[in-house]
Amino acid sequence: MTGFARRFRASCRSARPWLAVLGLSALLLAQRAAFPQIVGYPDAWTLPVAEAINRVMDGLVAQFQGVARAVSGGLNLAFSGVRALLIGSPWAVPVCLFCLIAWQGGGRRLALLTGALLLYILASGYWEPAMNTLALVLVALPLSILIGFGLGYLGFRSAHARRVILPMLDLMQTIPAFAYLIPILLLFGFGPVVGLIASVVFAVPPMVRNTILGFERIPPAVLESARMSGCSRPQQFAWAELPSALPQMLVGVNQTTMAALSMVIIAAIIGGFEDIGWAVLSAMRKAQFGQSLLSGAVIVVLAILLDRVTAAYAARQLPGASHAGLPLRRFAPVLAAALIAAFLAAQALPALRDWPAGLIHSPAQAINAATTGFVLAHGELMAALKNGVQFFLLLPVKLGFERAVVPFTWGITLTPGMKAAYWALAGLGCVLAFGRGRWKGGIAVLVVAGFLYFGATGLPWATVLLLTTLLAFQLGGIRLALLAGGAVVYLLVAGLWQQAMISVYLCSVAVFLCILLGGLIGIWAAASDTVSAIIRPINDMLQTLPQFVLLIPALMLFQVGDFTALLAIVAYAIVPMIRYTEHGLRSVPATLIDAGRACGCSAWQLFWQVRLPQSLPQILIGINQTVLYGLGMLVIAALVGTTGLGQAIYVALGEANAGAGLAAGLGMALIAMTADRLLQAVIRGRA
Amino acid sequence: MFHLTKLGARLIPGTAALMLAGMATAAELGATDEPIRLAINEWTGQHISTHIAGEALRSMGYDVEYVTAGNYPQHTALADGDLHATLEVWTNNVGDIYPKMKAAGRIVDIGPLGLTTREGWMYPKHMEELCPGLPAWEALVGCRDRLVTAETFPQGRILAYPADWGTRSADIIRNMGLDYKAVPAGSEGALVAELKAADARKTPLVMMFWAPHWVFAEVEAGWVALPAYEPACDTDPAWGPNPDATGDCGVEAPVTMKVAWAGFEEKWPAAWAFLEAYTLDTAAQEAMMKAIDQDGEPIEAVVAAWMEENAAVWTPWVEAATQ
Repeated sequence: MTGFARRFRASCRSARPWLAVLGLSALLLAQRAAFPQIVGYPDAWTLPVAEAINRVMDGLVAQFQGVARAVSGGLNLAFSGVRALLIGSPWAVPVCLFCLIAWQGGGRRLALLTGALLLYILASGYWEPAMNTLALVLVALPLSILIGFGLGYLGFRSAHARRVILPMLDLMQTIPAFAYLIPILLLFGFGPVVGLIASVVFAVPPMVRNTILGFERIPPAVLESARMSGCSRPQQFAWAELPSALPQMLVGVNQTTMAALSMVIIAAIIGGFEDIGWAVLSAMRKAQFGQSLLSGAVIVVLAILLDRVTAAYAARQLPGASHAGLPLRRFAPVLAAALIAAFLAAQALPALRDWPAGLIHSPAQAINAATTGFVLAHGELMAALKNGVQFFLLLPVKLGFERAVVPFTWGITLTPGMKAAYWALAGLGCVLAFGRGRWKGGIAVLVVAGFLYFGATGLPWATVLLLTTLLAFQLGGIRLALLAGGAVVYLLVAGLWQQAMISVYLCSVAVFLCILLGGLIGIWAAASDTVSAIIRPINDMLQTLPQFVLLIPALMLFQVGDFTALLAIVAYAIVPMIRYTEHGLRSVPATLIDAGRACGCSAWQLFWQVRLPQSLPQILIGINQTVLYGLGMLVIAALVGTTGLGQAIYVALGEANAGAGLAAGLGMALIAMTADRLLQAVIRGRA
Repeated sequence: MFHLTKLGARLIPGTAALMLAGMATAAELGATDEPIRLAINEWTGQHISTHIAGEALRSMGYDVEYVTAGNYPQHTALADGDLHATLEVWTNNVGDIYPKMKAAGRIVDIGPLGLTTREGWMYPKHMEELCPGLPAWEALVGCRDRLVTAETFPQGRILAYPADWGTRSADIIRNMGLDYKAVPAGSEGALVAELKAADARKTPLVMMFWAPHWVFAEVEAGWVALPAYEPACDTDPAWGPNPDATGDCGVEAPVTMKVAWAGFEEKWPAAWAFLEAYTLDTAAQEAMMKAIDQDGEPIEAVVAAWMEENAAVWTPWVEAATQ
C-alpha cells in the first residue's frame, strides 16, 4: 500500500462525521425542489418569541414603571444641573474648567490641546449640542463607573456571581442598542434619560472587566504584607487592594468613557434634547454631507478630548509618571478661583459670554459642492466598480454560482458540463488533501465549494446547523457545541432564519475583505514608519466618526444596496485588522529576525517563515475583533437598505414592538458570541 | 450662572400675558406657568409648522418649549404627557404607536394642518428624455430596460420607502402588473442622496416620494401619472387598468395632522382653541423651507419675518381663542 492510499484512508476515518454531514447535505440538496422546507425553514415550526418577550416586557413595565420613572426623574435633575453649568454659563467658564482638569491630569501640553479642541467646537458653531452631549456623558460616567465597579468586585469575590455576570456583559455589548431603546423608552419615559440609560448599559462592561482584572492582578505579596501588619478586612480593601487595582481600573474608566460617548449618538434617534447626535442624524436625513461631516467632526473632537484626559489620569497612577498635578485640597480652591475669575471676566467682556457669530466658520456648502463634483466626475467609474464587486463577489456569496452566473452578470450561462467540472475540481482538491494527510484542508475545500455554489441563502438549514455544531464541538468541546447549536436553533425557531443568513452573507464578505485589505495595509504599515504615521489618525477617525456620516457620499456614488452597506461595514471593521497586524509584526523579537538573517533567509522567507508565524496570535485577535465590529455595524448598514437582522430591528423600532426588536437583537448577539467563541478556540488551539 | 438677559426675555411676554388674561373673559388660558412642550421632528417643514404655532402661543402668554423627538418615539412621549403637541404628523407614516395610543385615548387628533400633500412615484426631470412618454405610467412598461440594475435584474428598479414605512411601492407594482422590483431605501437620507446623485449625473431613477419636501427647491422633478386614487380602486377589481386586481392605482394623498396629549384641552383651553384653528399654507411652507435649507437663514428669523408680514392670517386665530 502506497503512502498516499494509507494517508487517504486515515483521513477518511478522521473526517467521518464531516463526511456524514456533507453526504446528508447532498441528499437534502438533491430533494430541495420537491421539498421547499429543506432550504426555507417552515413558518409552522417557529415559536412566538417576540410575543413572549412582549408579554414579559408588559409585565415589567406594569411592575416597575413607577420606580423607573422616579429614577428617571432623579437622572433628569442631575442632567439638567450639569447642562445648566455647561450651557447656561458663559463659554469661558466650561473652557476654563476643562483646561484646568486637563492640566491637573496631564500637564501643560494636555491643557493646551484641550483648549484648542474646545475653541474648535466653538468656532464650528456646534457648541450647544456638543455641551448637551458632554453633559450626558458626564452624568452617565459616574453611574457606569459605580455600577461597573460594584459588579466587577462582586465578580472578583464570587465565582458564582462571575458565571452570571460574564455572559451578561457579552449580551450588553453585542445586542445592538437600537434593539433596547424601545424597552427603555417604555420603562423610563421620553427624554434624555433614554440615551443616558442606553449609554450606561453599553459602558458598564469595560469597567467590570477591568475591575476584575485589576483585583486579580494584585501581587500576593501586597496582600500578605497587609495581613502581616494586622489590617482588618475593610482596611485591607481600602489600603492595599484598592490602590493596587486602581491603575487597571482607570484603564476601564477610559474605555467606559469612550463607550458612553459612542452610545449617546445612537440614542439621538429617540430625541428629547438637542445633542450633537441629533445634528448628525438630521443632516443624514437631508443627505447633507458637509453638515453631517462637520457635526461628526465635533464628535471626533469630543472623543479625542475625553480619551486623552481620562488616559492621562490613568497614566498618572503608574510608577514613574512625570506629572503629578496639585494635591486635591490645593487644586479645588485654584479651580474655584479660576472659574469665578472667568465668570466675572465674561460679565465685563460679552465676547467671552457668547461666542461671536462672526467667528463661526462653516465650510459645509463647499464640502457639499465638492462631493457633487466628485460624483459627477467619477460616477461612471464608480458604477463599474460597484457592478464588478456585485457580480463577482456579492452575488455568488449570496445566491451561489448556481443562481448568480447568468448572461446579464458573467456573460455566460452555467452549462451542465461546467457544473460537472466545478464539482470534479472540488472533489479532486479534497482527495489530494486527504492523500497528503490533511483532512481538515480537504473538508474545508468541499465546504467552501458548496457555500459558493449554493450561496448563503441557498443552503439547507440543517446543513448549517450540523456543520456549525460539529465545528464548535471539534474546536471547543461539548459546551461550545451547545452554544453554537443553540444559537442556530434560536434563529430558526424565532423565525429569523432568512434575515440571519443575509446578515451572515454580508458580514462574511466584509470580514473577508477586511482581512485581505486590512492585513496588507497592516503589513505595509509595519514595514514603513511613514505609512504607519499616516494610517494611525485615519484609523482613529474611522472609529470615532459616527458611521452615518460616511453613508452619505457612499450612497451618492453607489446608490442604495448591499455594496454601499459593504463599504460602510468594511470602513469600520477594517481598523482592528490593520492595528493588530501592524502591532503583531512590529513586536516580533529582533533576535528572531537576526537569527533568520543569519540562516540566510531572503526577505520573502523571513516574512513567511519568521515574522508571520510569530505574529499570528495577534493577527487572530485582530480577526476576532473585526468579526465583532462587522456584526456591530449591521444595524447602521440597514439605513442604506440591506434586508438582514439590522432591518428587522428598525422595523421593530418603527412599530414600537419591543419584543420583535429584542428578538432580532438577541439573534445578532448570539451570532456574534458564537463567532467570537469559535475564533477564541482557534486562538487557544494555536497558542 | 444663568443669562440674566434670557431670564428677562422670558419674563416680559409673561407679564404681557397676565395683562391679556385679565382682559379676556370667555376663554381660559389655563396653566400659563407650565411650559407647553412642542415636538420638533427630523424635517424642516415640520420645524416651520411648529415654530409658527409656538411663536403665536408665546404671543398669547404661554411658555413654549421646543423639544426634539423622533417621528415614532414622540407618540410615546405624547401619551405620557412628556410632550404636549406635535403639529405635522403625516398619516401615511405614523408607525404602530400612533393608532395604538389613539385607540387607548391617551393622544387625540386636534385636526388637519391643511397642507396640500402629494405622494407617489417621482422622478428627476431628465427622466422624461430617458423614458419618453412620462409622466404617463404606461411609459414605465416601455423603458423598463433603462431602470434594470445589478440587484434587480431582470426587473426594473423602483426605489421604495424604508422597510419600516410600509410596502406601498411593492403593492402598486404587483397590482398594476409591472415588471419592476421595489428596493427599500433604508432611510430618508438614502432617498434624498440617490435623488441628488441621479440629478447630478442624469442617470435613470424612479422613486416613491412625497411633497411638500425641501428637496424640490433643489431638484426639478416630475410625478408618474398613475390612475388617481378612488375608494372603488380598493374594492372593485374591474376598476383600473388591471382587471384582476384591486389597488391598481396611485396612493391616496396623505393628511397632515395636529396631534396632542389627551390632557391638553383641559390644561390650556385657549391654546387648544388656537391650535384647532391653526392651518398652514403649502406655498408659504415651501418658501420658508427654501430660505432655511437652501439659503441657510436661521429658522427663527424666517418664521419671525413671515409672522410679521402675515399677521392678518394668524392674529384672528389668537383673538378668537382668547375671546
